[in-house]
Amino acid sequence: MKRPSGISGWLKLVLPWLLLLVLLLLPAAGLSFNLMRLLFLTAVWTTTSLGWNLLGGMTGQVSFGFAVFFGLGAYTTALLMHAGHSPYFGFAGGAAIAMLASFFIGLPTFRLRGPYFVIATIGVTEAVRVIMNNLDITGGASGYRITEDKPFNPLEHYYTAIVAVALAVLVSTIIANSKFGLALRAIKQDQDAAADLGVNPYTTKLWVHAIAAGLTGIAGGIYARRAAFFYPGDVFAFSTGIFILLMPVIGGIGTVWGPVLGGIVFVIVEEQISVNFPNFHLLIYGALLIIIILLEPDGLLGLLRRLFRLLPRQQAKTGLAGDPG
Amino acid sequence: MEAAEYLDLLLKALLLAGVYAAMAVGMTVVYGVMKIVNLAHAGFLMLGAYFALEMFQRFHIDPVLGAVLALPAFFLFGMLVHWLLVRWLPKSDTPTLASLLLMFGFWLVLQNIGYAAWGNEDQSILTPLTLSAVHIGDTISIPKVNLVVFAAAVFCMVVLQIVFHRSWFGRSMRALIQNPYAAQIVGVDDQRTSRLTFGLGTAFAGFAGALLGMLYSFSPDFGRPFLLRSFVIIVLGGLESVSGVALGALVLAILETFSTVIPLPWYWHGWKTFYLPPSYQPVVPFALLVVALVIMPKGLAGLFQRKWKAA
Repeated sequence: MKRPSGISGWLKLVLPWLLLLVLLLLPAAGLSFNLMRLLFLTAVWTTTSLGWNLLGGMTGQVSFGFAVFFGLGAYTTALLMHAGHSPYFGFAGGAAIAMLASFFIGLPTFRLRGPYFVIATIGVTEAVRVIMNNLDITGGASGYRITEDKPFNPLEHYYTAIVAVALAVLVSTIIANSKFGLALRAIKQDQDAAADLGVNPYTTKLWVHAIAAGLTGIAGGIYARRAAFFYPGDVFAFSTGIFILLMPVIGGIGTVWGPVLGGIVFVIVEEQISVNFPNFHLLIYGALLIIIILLEPDGLLGLLRRLFRLLPRQQAKTGLAGDPG
Repeated sequence: MEAAEYLDLLLKALLLAGVYAAMAVGMTVVYGVMKIVNLAHAGFLMLGAYFALEMFQRFHIDPVLGAVLALPAFFLFGMLVHWLLVRWLPKSDTPTLASLLLMFGFWLVLQNIGYAAWGNEDQSILTPLTLSAVHIGDTISIPKVNLVVFAAAVFCMVVLQIVFHRSWFGRSMRALIQNPYAAQIVGVDDQRTSRLTFGLGTAFAGFAGALLGMLYSFSPDFGRPFLLRSFVIIVLGGLESVSGVALGALVLAILETFSTVIPLPWYWHGWKTFYLPPSYQPVVPFALLVVALVIMPKGLAGLFQRKWKAA
């Protein structure tokens, strides 16, 4: 890691740890049940958002199919807990199954140039939901219920989610500062040039897809354990995939903190919208996407940068004009 | 099953393929000329169905005529959308993140407009045509509406082929599909052609949506399963070829129709056969997509081309 320079450099180094410390100490300061639920949801969704961003933001491969990994994480965790394993083992199992599923999508599509990957991600969500709706061992369309012997402990759920989001931020930061991250950005900008310089686009995309899927699977497991009841039309819904994609785009694609910001904004907005404008969900999100793409492709983070000029200017060039082929 | 029943299903598959081709062709021309995967296609399909419904309920216009009327209306609408949104996208040889997210956002907006205007209950267009059928022998009976819809779809496909191969606009479209840079050098106005192409693609989406609305019931979420089918068809057709679309539509329609009546072999302590449960039928397009991507990523035509080149 580079040595920090100037005030903003130090702030960048210290702020994340400060944030984590505050999040860990908050319950001791006394949190209302609802606020803790909101923070839990924010942490879970931000984890998926960071996962999507590794593939979509850094590598430039748009996926509409992350609901599959979220749902697989949820179901795997639930089935493993039902078989008597610890929930934490269940989360790991969920991540593993999600990673396996990511290879299933990536292996046939990443070989090809063109829009094949995007098309396949739309198809796979539909296909998996149809299968899960009819599968007997998971209760089909009527859903699955997790039963635990212990009493409901919101604090444990809260801390699991915080640990997951911290893990996601850590993984993203490490990747962003590593040679692997450099390879990802090279693929986004020009796949042929990257290949000439010794990056294998095929395996690189496969691995980053797997890492992203794993993070999303963990988030799905954590979500499912607290929800205790879920069904395919919920975790495998196309709209779940939309939400996962929206957050990094809102916050700022291709950065580490953009998806976090997007996750926070998304949960707050979602809570407000579902109360005040229940019929205009899609319109608001659709319009937001259009406005961001046409006017501020770097999302909220780009807007903030433009407003405050806190950070050096050349870093604001994450850009959407990449080459995802 | 008897031979006549198979023939009955085959006829139905053929008729379905006509509508599928009209549905996917708009997406093909837009992808070919502009390299945009038009996710809003699903929204246009849905609007097309509601257009025919409104025409039928308010002005008592026959839905087939309504579908034809949808062509000019959606052509103008598509040009407007291009002028407002699509033309600002950066140009690229491959679909960009920005274009995918923009079209997706627009689809969400269209879907919400659908919910706001017509609610979320299923609608259907019922005319005297819907309930009567043509009988051939005892087992074969084809609903008249399928025949009419097929005829309309084929007619429009033929018109499109003529425009594509016999007009200046068609020639500039083909030039942009083959090589956008060379096309611009020899004087093709790519902005104008893109705008007209997007209008054409939207027109066909609206038209196909109206036809599909006569065959199936629909809600504002109507387009999504058909979006996936359109993708499968254009991948089978080789992404940029208009005639490939017809072939892809035929393959998909036949496989979908026959998927639940053909015994599939599988191995478990000896060879056995089973029938695909009808509830799994929606998986068929996706399975076909995966198979197509693994075996013949350049489409059915690409499979033959490779053999010719090798010879």
